[in-house]
Amino acid sequence: MSASQHEDCNACNEYNELSRRGFITGAAASVGGVMFAPIFPAWLPKVVLAESAATRDIIVSVFLRGGADGLTLCVPFFDDEYYAGRATIAIPRPDSSDPDRAIALDDYFAFPLAMAGLLPAYVAGDLLIVHATGSTDPSRSHFDAQRFMEVGKPRDPSVNTGWLGRHLASSTPLRSDAPLRALGLSSGLARTLVGAPRALPIPDPATFAIGGRAATRAQRAEWLYDDYIASQEPVRAAALDALNTVELLQLINFSGYQTANGATYPNTAFGRSLRSAAALIKAEVGVEAIQVDLSGWDTHSNQAPLNGSMFNSMQNLANSLGAFHADVIGSGMAQTVTVVVISEFGRNVRQNGSLGTDHGRGNCMFAMGRNIDGGRVLVENWPGLERENLERGQDLRVTIDHRDILAEIVQNRLGNPNIDVVFPDHSPQFRGVTV
Amino acid sequence: MLTPAEPAGAQVSGQDPVPADTDRRPTRRRLLGIGAAVAAAVVAPRGAAGQRIVRPPSRRPPEPEVSGDILLRLVRRVTNGVTREELARVDSLGFRKYLDYQLKPSAIDDSAVDAFVTSNYSNLSQPGTGLYQLNQNALMRELSQATLYRAAFSKRQLYERMVQFWSDHFNIYYPKVNYLKVIDDREVIRRHALGKFPDMLRASAHSPAMLEYLDNTRSRGRNVNQNYARELMELHTLGVDGGYTQTDVEEVTRCLTGWTIAGRGQFRFDPNGHDFTAKTVLGVDIPAMPASAGAAGVQDGETVLDLLLEHPSTARFIATRLSRWLLEYDPPAALVDDVADTFARTGGDIPSMIRTILTPANLMAAPAKYRQPYQLVLAALRATQASVSGVRTITTITNAQLRNLGQPLFQWEEPDGYPDEVEWWAGSILQRWNFCSYICNLSTGDVVVNVTNLMQVNTAQGIADAINERVFASEMPPALLNRVSEYLAGGTINEVRVREALALALSSNEFQWY
Repeated sequence: MSASQHEDCNACNEYNELSRRGFITGAAASVGGVMFAPIFPAWLPKVVLAESAATRDIIVSVFLRGGADGLTLCVPFFDDEYYAGRATIAIPRPDSSDPDRAIALDDYFAFPLAMAGLLPAYVAGDLLIVHATGSTDPSRSHFDAQRFMEVGKPRDPSVNTGWLGRHLASSTPLRSDAPLRALGLSSGLARTLVGAPRALPIPDPATFAIGGRAATRAQRAEWLYDDYIASQEPVRAAALDALNTVELLQLINFSGYQTANGATYPNTAFGRSLRSAAALIKAEVGVEAIQVDLSGWDTHSNQAPLNGSMFNSMQNLANSLGAFHADVIGSGMAQTVTVVVISEFGRNVRQNGSLGTDHGRGNCMFAMGRNIDGGRVLVENWPGLERENLERGQDLRVTIDHRDILAEIVQNRLGNPNIDVVFPDHSPQFRGVTV
Repeated sequence: MLTPAEPAGAQVSGQDPVPADTDRRPTRRRLLGIGAAVAAAVVAPRGAAGQRIVRPPSRRPPEPEVSGDILLRLVRRVTNGVTREELARVDSLGFRKYLDYQLKPSAIDDSAVDAFVTSNYSNLSQPGTGLYQLNQNALMRELSQATLYRAAFSKRQLYERMVQFWSDHFNIYYPKVNYLKVIDDREVIRRHALGKFPDMLRASAHSPAMLEYLDNTRSRGRNVNQNYARELMELHTLGVDGGYTQTDVEEVTRCLTGWTIAGRGQFRFDPNGHDFTAKTVLGVDIPAMPASAGAAGVQDGETVLDLLLEHPSTARFIATRLSRWLLEYDPPAALVDDVADTFARTGGDIPSMIRTILTPANLMAAPAKYRQPYQLVLAALRATQASVSGVRTITTITNAQLRNLGQPLFQWEEPDGYPDEVEWWAGSILQRWNFCSYICNLSTGDVVVNVTNLMQVNTAQGIADAINERVFASEMPPALLNRVSEYLAGGTINEVRVREALALALSSNEFQWY
């Protein structure tokens, strides 16, 4: 993909206004009069700038790469067809006596044991699970389906930026002096964030520093600034963002970070990422969007949700998010945070020949926060798992466009009314998922 | 170096329906006989509908003159980093002979690199039975190091570029398959990197590493697994919009049931795991066989490979990916058509496709590409003429450094390979600067970057000039040359500061593009 026009011009004015000053004087410099209008390409609808209000949430967006099996993440134990299709990889009913039995969430759905780490968030009413959701596009290709979800519109090659990137580009910064508004805790910038002004992929914020001799560090940084100021996007923005961010991140003591409520993050890449996210959020440096990827969900074989690979993946997911809930969401801090968790598609209702599941369609997704109307599993006309009710006779149908959920959060919790910018050509139906 | 902002000429227009093969290749005489005025005419703007699209009557416009700039662009595209040695070679051989030279790697004496690899990474040549018994993590480190060493220092640079391309095209995540990837690297990727695409695809389809990585080893009888069948079409041949359906995925899956592994890294067709009933793939009926057909059941899968290789979408898909890799992120449709035609005409001959892509006109029209982190590492090792006498530091580069940069070899988990996209890689710029700092500070140990030879004229300007000549092959833009000189002048000039200046030069925006 080439950097198309609307990526090239991304937030140029912000940089012209901010970067040199921010770089020279550090994060404390305040910058007024940030202009947005010219950064939007002609194809975008008219933009109304979002209010910068203290009631706005910070968002943490998690993408489960590989097509997570939503029928295992949140088990429809009431539907006998689930057990018929999953002869050897089902999660036992919660009313059974099996030691591996599921934990009922209501009369219809249950968590597998591996997801128990999220129960406190659910019980507190902060965790919403949406089921039979996903993309309107039937692609079973990982890469197409991920792309369609991340850009927020399927099959439109002209939309190259991510939905979260466009949200940030069409809203005022939470803090106008923030050198970094968004980061991906990954080696490359996930497409979800492409197009965001002041966004960087930072795999480990604790080690984000310019190497070499301390004595010449400032001199070398200034040299690099002068070199990259004339470079082309998206490299220019990345370089200037990096230079503006190094000092900021040095100020945060990641290794000495103390969690609240005795929360313990798993010592996994994902757990460490969420711990870093918590430290960044509590440092109140203006970071307002964090993207985290978790892979390992393409469970074609030996899915093993009770004791093997998917069990471990789910436990990592749930314990990390559970720690984040205790540490951040449930900590009573004034700044509220919403977490969303999506995956590109669900998996076949019936297991395949190798104790796994192949690519499917409908899935579940999660939203977590004090301002999420949680503690429930939201379904709309559960389509059923009988063969005649399945898409292509194989897959749970999608009854809720996942963008409806995200759009409601963007408008109500991120304070951005520009839903037609964030999700072009989609008129979302709001379902009261936010409070 | 090429400044990426420079438009580098517009797209070549008027690429008419493919002329005969001989017309495609610039002859020395034609190249030399045409002046700059004609060259300028070649870069006519891409015409909007109805606007002055001037098409030559029957064939594409003549190629522009092969200037030093074109030769430089050729070396950029063919190698993992321009060096003075490589520029001298292209100058003496000329455009076509240099490309010929690089396209026949077996004729290039690479004995020094072979000797280093065989003496330090001897395990890699073991048969499967031997590989199986080794420490599998240590084996991955050997494979990564040998791969990096060859890519940086082999004279067979275009071959190594293609090895990287095919390693992503037929991506395999080492930790899932372990030693089987070493066999795949030898017998699929390296054996066919500059051969015929059909041979390579068939080798990959019979490769135990691929069958294990994409779960075909677990697809038996009615207990099927669609993973390999889908990616075979989506990523290896037709492309996602190549005209197959979900039903085709299911049918191809059935055709490939029983394709599995025997022993330690051998292909095996298991008739007991094969579905012998009738199938329809891409509209073609594949009749049922009696189960007694036994070993002949492998033919279903072979037929699928034939159908995929004959399908026009495969030629287009491979043409697109190859053009993107070797030339530019968005290759013009007319070029992709040409390359797809070459695929069809030559039976998927990879060198012939490369010749169609790497023409003087195409090189002049192509904007710069952003180096992936691994490519930056290779270019830095080449540009600094790092001397290597052992393997310890290479271990650090392939482990800690490449991991830090986000591109450890053979560890991209999903089957699409590392992204060849500037959007993905642009963000990790700080990690790139830190790598440049690291490499330029290797003053002792088994990888050494020598800077004393940059200090023969021991002034800021003298050292900056030396960096330009020796490291940048005299291609530094004047503004960058000035900035390097200014940095040197901004403190006491000593070896430490020279190393810093060198690291900054490699960290510059200009060095990130090729």
